[in-house]
Amino acid sequence: MKYETVMGLEVHVELATKSKLFCACSTEFGSDINENVCPVCAGMPGTSLMVNKKAVELAIAAGLLTNSEISPRITFDKKNYFYPDLPSGYQLTQLYSPICKNGWVEIETDAGKKKINLVQIHLEEDAGKLIHDDWTDTTLIDFNRAAVPLIEIVTRPDFRSAEEVVAFLEKLRSLLSFADVSDCKMQEGSMRCDLNLSVREKGTEKLGTRTEIKNMNSLKAIAAAIAYESQRHIDALETGDEVLIQETRRWDDSIGATFSMRDKEDATDYRVFPNPDIMPVFIDDEWIDAVGSNLPETAQDKFIRLTQGLGLPEYDSEIITRSKNLSNIFDETLKHFNNPKEVANWIIVELLSIAKGDNKGEDDVRIDCRKFAKLIELVDGRTINRNVGKKILSLILEEGIDPVEYAEKNKLGMINDTSLITSTIQEVLSENPKALEEYRGGSKKVHGFFVGQIMRKLGGKANPQIVNKLLVEALKEI
Amino acid sequence: MPNIEDYEAMTKISLSEDERAVVSDYMDMLLDSFNKLEDTDVSGVEPLISVLDVKGPMRDDLVIKTISREELLSNAPEQHDGYFQVPRTVD
Amino acid sequence: MGLFIEDYKVSGADTVALEDSIMQKGKQVTAGSRILDNFTSPFNATVVDRLLDGGFKISGRTVMDEFGLLKLSRDDDNTPSGALRAVSEGISAYALCNDLFGRYRGEAPKNDCCYIHPTYGTVSRYGLIPLASSMDQIGIVCKDLSQGFKLLSHLAGKDPKDGAMFPDSSYNYGTTDEKITLGVPRSVVEKADEGTREAIMDFIKEFSSTDINLEYFDLYNQVMYILSSAEISSNLSRYDGIKFGYRASGYTNIDDLYIKTRSEGFGLDAKLTAIMGAMILSKDQYGPYYEKAMKIRRLIKESVKFDTYKVIVLPCRISDDPYENLALYSLAPLAGLPSVSFSYKGHGIQLVAGVKKENLLLSTWEVSMA
Repeated sequence: MKYETVMGLEVHVELATKSKLFCACSTEFGSDINENVCPVCAGMPGTSLMVNKKAVELAIAAGLLTNSEISPRITFDKKNYFYPDLPSGYQLTQLYSPICKNGWVEIETDAGKKKINLVQIHLEEDAGKLIHDDWTDTTLIDFNRAAVPLIEIVTRPDFRSAEEVVAFLEKLRSLLSFADVSDCKMQEGSMRCDLNLSVREKGTEKLGTRTEIKNMNSLKAIAAAIAYESQRHIDALETGDEVLIQETRRWDDSIGATFSMRDKEDATDYRVFPNPDIMPVFIDDEWIDAVGSNLPETAQDKFIRLTQGLGLPEYDSEIITRSKNLSNIFDETLKHFNNPKEVANWIIVELLSIAKGDNKGEDDVRIDCRKFAKLIELVDGRTINRNVGKKILSLILEEGIDPVEYAEKNKLGMINDTSLITSTIQEVLSENPKALEEYRGGSKKVHGFFVGQIMRKLGGKANPQIVNKLLVEALKEI
Repeated sequence: MPNIEDYEAMTKISLSEDERAVVSDYMDMLLDSFNKLEDTDVSGVEPLISVLDVKGPMRDDLVIKTISREELLSNAPEQHDGYFQVPRTVD
Repeated sequence: MGLFIEDYKVSGADTVALEDSIMQKGKQVTAGSRILDNFTSPFNATVVDRLLDGGFKISGRTVMDEFGLLKLSRDDDNTPSGALRAVSEGISAYALCNDLFGRYRGEAPKNDCCYIHPTYGTVSRYGLIPLASSMDQIGIVCKDLSQGFKLLSHLAGKDPKDGAMFPDSSYNYGTTDEKITLGVPRSVVEKADEGTREAIMDFIKEFSSTDINLEYFDLYNQVMYILSSAEISSNLSRYDGIKFGYRASGYTNIDDLYIKTRSEGFGLDAKLTAIMGAMILSKDQYGPYYEKAMKIRRLIKESVKFDTYKVIVLPCRISDDPYENLALYSLAPLAGLPSVSFSYKGHGIQLVAGVKKENLLLSTWEVSMA
């Protein structure tokens, strides 16, 4: 390979606060249109901005998790431009005093471990949402997301491959979601990233012409965009057919290519200046320590606890600690039924397969962990069998049923009554002389046939272990 | 000399010829007066953003609804189905 | 032109007129600008709530210059603003307004009224249509300063809805026993007309006084103009015809909507200020103009020490040029200081004191009136 791709990221992460950055409007996702908007976040005059303490704390947490320096005093700046999703005509951000500086995140790829350096992390407000309506041929504006708190994480141009970029974003998602800083969902837009990319000949120092790519909303899209854009740069360098210009380009996932965003003026002068209306927020060591000591377990710590503390296989622990949601379900269920192996098993095998069938990701599965624990206990205690258990799991997810009540009401409990099972075995054996003959002739296959017949007669509820044991004994006596 | 049209574009204001002549005169006068700043040495001086030397008050993360959507939209020049409405911003 | 946009037809010693920049729930508030046509305020300014809690009656909403912006033209008509007329004509006992550029402070003495410009951060700006946020301050037009300060005691004090205030929950305004020494900036006073100069000389005879030099005085109006226009330019960008207020008709696309709305909605002073502010904040000018002005603002604030003097005496007019006169009214907003203006022997006098030293102003005024 003659060329080297040099990349940097700007990652926007929506903070998991209940209210907005400067006003008390809800940040809830999926609320009714313009329901969470007040005079402050609608940009009305005469309003005053109050910094959300929790947003500052979450940004401090992000700084601690990325080994950043936390600024002792922060202010907010006004970035001025006109766009219909921006209610005030300016965005509040932090150009002059970002909350975190000079952090780093360690990533691991097949090529080994590497430190990715961060320029800064700053707090800013999100914009509203524009919907382009064909029916009215107008653009409609919903300001529910306007002024929702974000952090923007800016890296140095330290990436050399798509693998590194993906590994970084996964690491960031793990760090931030486990610390409850953000749910980091790329699909829902709570984690978004812009990429700066340039290509140069290996061994040279000078960076090539840089393009910025926007609108990639999955890791897959990012990897594809990097592959496409690198090749475009290399082709331009090789053939000279196209002259690269510094510009912003939009990734089109359906076409699989980047396109110049000519309407976006790169030369916009944002006229950023300090907002004199928001008094500086002071962050002392005591506050930083308090945030640090309240940080929840990281995915890495949790992995160690699951494997070394609870004795779970690395494979299971890997899956559970890949998602904050799954690992919450694991911990919560374990509180009600303390059998790590079984709980892990039910999450990985049953819960995830149902979720997959419903087209839900591991972050989107929701279950009442008490009911889930009861269900696992019913199966583990052989009160119901596993197949019945799977059906009940679906009903917990769909209808929220209580597994114990449901099993009782529908008489789903397993039959452990040996005399009933014994008499059923005798019935089956006498009704199937031909099969019995085959068994005597040495065919072991018919064992399974007998089990099937016995189970059918008992409505599928017989305890399979007892059936097996008694059938073996009955056959021996013949 | 700054180009007035650039700042008209920045502020989304279009001046008439008459207005531009007036604004241009004032701008000349003002910029001329600003030259006086050059004589003052400010090295080592921190910019003063606000005269208030107080800690910014912070808010707890509580949700409070202050106005209804109807009230919010009642001020909108154009609205549609609960949205604010503007001409289409993309083709 | 009438002085009220809305006249609530009440009268008496407890009536207060509101300049149209102070928001009242359910009322149309335009700050004298077409750009806010049809804007109905969804809430009360804190000062309105406090007036009502204090048993005062609101007499009406008065006409004003667009947003209270600086008028640079020399040949404007000399009709006093609505808030001032409401008080001077005896229709209302008081009026509240935001006097950033000195219009009320200058007009009050000429119309037999007084003006109180309180210390920045002592009166809530919640519900005040903003001009320059770092300097905006609601003040009082009154007939008599001791009455004016009584009203102020109902208004001042920390408001949890305004994030940029001193923490004090209330202030006691009254006279003080503190020895008053006046600081007299000779070189500034020299610029006033003869009558004013004589009035100031008579005024200071009643006190101990010392000559002072107002350092940076010749930069006051530039710094004031640079900082205020930048802040105002940004504060005016919320008016875009989308969420509230005026929207032009006949636009063809979003950019056209912005441009038509703002070009039709703003008057010339607003356009000039928005454009000057954008220029001052633009990449190339930020350093030499905006940042430098912020630094000189610090030098100005630190230069008035109130050590050998407690109160600065200034005239209310030194020139026919509004831009030159602006220097007289810049110290208080730039340094966040309280000031009063009133008529003494028929001439306008302005007093400026240290932060939260309103009592010195009241005492000085009382001694001079005795």
